[in-house]
Amino acid sequence: MNTFLARTNAVFAFALSILAALTFFCAMSTSYKKYGDVVPVKISTARESVRNLPNYQAGRETCDLGMLNFDLEADFTKAFDWNTKQLFLYLTAHYKTPANVINQVVLWDHILLRQPEAKLSLKNHNVKYYFWDDGHGLKNNPNVTLTLSMNVIPNAGMLPIFTVPTTHTFTFPNIYTN
Amino acid sequence: MSGFFDSIPTHMDFVGQKKAEKLFQTLILAAAVIGLAIGYHYEQFSYTVYSLGAGFVISCLITLPPWPMYRRNPVKWQKRRKETKSTKEDESSSPSSPSSKGKKKK
Repeated sequence: MNTFLARTNAVFAFALSILAALTFFCAMSTSYKKYGDVVPVKISTARESVRNLPNYQAGRETCDLGMLNFDLEADFTKAFDWNTKQLFLYLTAHYKTPANVINQVVLWDHILLRQPEAKLSLKNHNVKYYFWDDGHGLKNNPNVTLTLSMNVIPNAGMLPIFTVPTTHTFTFPNIYTN
Repeated sequence: MSGFFDSIPTHMDFVGQKKAEKLFQTLILAAAVIGLAIGYHYEQFSYTVYSLGAGFVISCLITLPPWPMYRRNPVKWQKRRKETKSTKEDESSSPSSPSSKGKKKK
């Protein structure tokens, strides 16, 4: 503390320690927050159809390809608290087939940056990724559930994934569209 | 250049150093608490960081330069001895016995 440099070092080191403490506090303050519960979401689908096409990624055999459009209304304003930098959103289809008990296919995703009104309103939106089944489990499937999940990217702390409790269930028709 | 910088006095006396340390700790802590409240209220952690940065700059300005308020209690040195031999003795003894230096400072 006698010289200029020693004082600079002391002030800087102290400020840095306090910054670390603040960041830790910020991370702790949101570590138990359930982000999925503070986001009102409405999902609906339209024009569901199934096509039977060869999936060349897997082989030459034909597989079921689901087609649909979806509406999504959601308000993420409350998810952007002081520890949220951005959100990674993805829409997953869950269904059951005779071949597999658990099937999960991601149909769409989106990066939502911080903004004053973090609202999403999609109307009649196309899916982003192909809805392939690994067999013939989509035709006449009565119970396909869409869920919206969000990966919260924080300023400091864990990268948690939450699934919004509001879901939407729809049925695929029992004939192939060509 | 270095001679010019060395000629600028930057030291504080002991009371001043204590004062300076307490002052910058208080300032930075206050800035952190205020920033925490602001950042929590506006849901923006960057406000907290900026507030801490402001506290850092202010405390740098207040405690880094040796302002006169930190130099009001200069160390009282003992008077120099009158012997003419003493300079020779000091030169020969100072590297071997640093304790003599400490005694003199008191």
